[in-house]
Amino acid sequence: MRICSRNNANDCAVAVSFRAPLVAAALLACLMTFGCSAERVSTPGADAGRAEQLRATLASSTGGGNAGEAAASTGTGWGTLKGRFLFAGTPGEPKPLMVDKDTEICSKAGVKLVDRSLLVDPATKGLANVVVFARKASRVKETTVPATPLVFDQKQCEFLAPVFAARVGQPIDVHNSDSIGHNTNIAGSSFNQLIPAGQGTLYKADAETGMPTMVTCNIHPWMKAYAVFRKDGYVAVSAADGSFTIPDLPAGEPLEMQVWHERSSGPNGALGLDNPALKWTPKGRFQIQLTPDEVKDIGTLEVPASALGT
Amino acid sequence: MKSQSQIVSRTLVGHHSAWAVIACSISLLMCVSGCGSTPAAWFRPNMVEATKQRLTPDQEQQVSTVMLAMFGTPDAPVALPETGLDEAKLQLAAGPVHSDIVGRKNGLYREHCAHCHGVTGDGLGPTAAFLNPYPRDYRPGVFKFKSTERADKPTHEDLVRILHNGIPGTSMPSFALLSPPKVEALVEYVKYLSIRGETEIALMRAFFELDDEAQGKLPETREFLVDEVLTPVTEKWKTAADALIAVPEMASDLDLAASIAKGKELFYGDKANCVKCHGPTALGDGQANDYDDWNKAIVEVSKEVKSGLERAGETSTSGMDSEALAEHRGQLAWLDKFGRVLDGGDALRPRTIQPRNLRHGIYRGGRRPLDLYYRIHAGINGAPMPAAKGTVPPEEIWHIVNYVRSLPYELDGELGADRPMVAKDRF
Repeated sequence: MRICSRNNANDCAVAVSFRAPLVAAALLACLMTFGCSAERVSTPGADAGRAEQLRATLASSTGGGNAGEAAASTGTGWGTLKGRFLFAGTPGEPKPLMVDKDTEICSKAGVKLVDRSLLVDPATKGLANVVVFARKASRVKETTVPATPLVFDQKQCEFLAPVFAARVGQPIDVHNSDSIGHNTNIAGSSFNQLIPAGQGTLYKADAETGMPTMVTCNIHPWMKAYAVFRKDGYVAVSAADGSFTIPDLPAGEPLEMQVWHERSSGPNGALGLDNPALKWTPKGRFQIQLTPDEVKDIGTLEVPASALGT
Repeated sequence: MKSQSQIVSRTLVGHHSAWAVIACSISLLMCVSGCGSTPAAWFRPNMVEATKQRLTPDQEQQVSTVMLAMFGTPDAPVALPETGLDEAKLQLAAGPVHSDIVGRKNGLYREHCAHCHGVTGDGLGPTAAFLNPYPRDYRPGVFKFKSTERADKPTHEDLVRILHNGIPGTSMPSFALLSPPKVEALVEYVKYLSIRGETEIALMRAFFELDDEAQGKLPETREFLVDEVLTPVTEKWKTAADALIAVPEMASDLDLAASIAKGKELFYGDKANCVKCHGPTALGDGQANDYDDWNKAIVEVSKEVKSGLERAGETSTSGMDSEALAEHRGQLAWLDKFGRVLDGGDALRPRTIQPRNLRHGIYRGGRRPLDLYYRIHAGINGAPMPAAKGTVPPEEIWHIVNYVRSLPYELDGELGADRPMVAKDRF
């Protein structure tokens, strides 16, 4: 019934050559064709034929195949990866957070809480809180997960660590050093618990996060941190001077490292850099290979302001 | 003999050809009949997630094709054995509303649920925008009112209870008048929509995890689609019954007045901290600028789009080389698309959370003491309400339950300085 459609512009062109009433009628028809649906992004249609084949594949008990993991590495020994992130831009003044609750504790002694999503060391330009982790490693040197709890504390209505990393199964002492109650809510996990004043509770991540996940306090919604949980522990968070070190990586196999920053404008926080030498991709990944006992320093990595959406 | 309409047409267009008459008749016909042809029902793709993950049109199509293969259509649902779903029950709930040859009603979901929860179970049915709270979007697989630990799925009985009782204080009515087999069919179908939605989200997120050699295409193998994507979703449904909250009995010799007093202390104290959100008057007037997970997801992406557009507006393209310019334009096109997705019917306008007014005596997840125990012990999944377990021992949770249950009946004058004011006393 469509007289004029986006795919059929010729009919419209013909219609215009008729006299006024007909043009009006055509316009009316066009309007009616498009008028009934609000402007929406067109949604993709499925390929029914392919879906039919695929359903047969899924129904068979063995179907498909060729999805095997990459062959296990034959390398031996261990190496260390280090580097340093520098911010190539001028960070503006951090924005103050809206602290409208428990101000006698949260703004104690006139301390104003500020947005910590872009922390740059004024002396060295080092960029803190960049997360680097290995996407896949065939071997792990330290197979036992540390049994001593990692303390994740909050004081004066602020999580002390804006970004932290832990191993899956490692106990985390979610602590509250304030004299008021908080709750700690780790997105995508089972953990959202009350943490009474001066107390703590243990949490063990039962799965990897993939990219870092947000940690909040619902009582004080300005409180925010990020957590990253990895099975193999091959993860680092850059220090105040922008440096990071990941020791004991398996040598002799190609390693793909994932890089994340809270403010990154890339997909899911992936930090894409222009660095062909390390084959850095827009998904924030780069490639390295270590030799046994090597300490590989990939040097200073300049992060332009545009990559962080400042 | 000329028909009336032809004569009218002729006088309008003068000597002009029959084409004009036909065109006019067609548009008249359209005016009368409108746009009312009914296309077959279809599952609406999760465009918010697809756009968030920056999927290309090819990738969106790949997800749609895989979803069609794994789950079928709203008229002909498919359930792989791994889902553990009963296809016969799904058939009864799926499809258009009609009675079959023996007079049995089919299409139960569309008769009773779809106008609010949507054909896709995305909480975007035609009436959704007018309701407060919004109808549940099943796709993230998160349910609030259940007897299991926080992050676990509801049991089958939990969902049956919701259908039977409805959700007091919301637009969700009771379906107690439906026969048990019909309720069973609907519960099965809700699980189906939830598993389908969660699988779709997992597929869309899987593109980011792909290695570069995959060239942006998901492997269409059983190992990937069933073992890696579908099974983790369905496993959680199968193990729900093992995750029941263990509830110790309330002490039989409990002194109720003393328990209520202790509960009150906990309610206002720093340990349980209920007061922070439910307010000093328990009217739900505490923390009110937070969001539940469904609304928060929209708030977060809206912020990203807004700040992205602001930045793009400030960026000068004059000094850019062709590569940077292409990237800049790509980013703009993505932001523009995202803006249209959020505005064009794939999302509802976010609303802040409303902590429950505990003086009404209306409890969404059920009013039994046991229901309140579940809510306080595990918190409310998907909502800011945190779990008290771990830091508040069970006997103290019972004290809070007793205090909360006394709140609708608390006498005026017992509330102290913060007591709510009766409206007529304000003037």
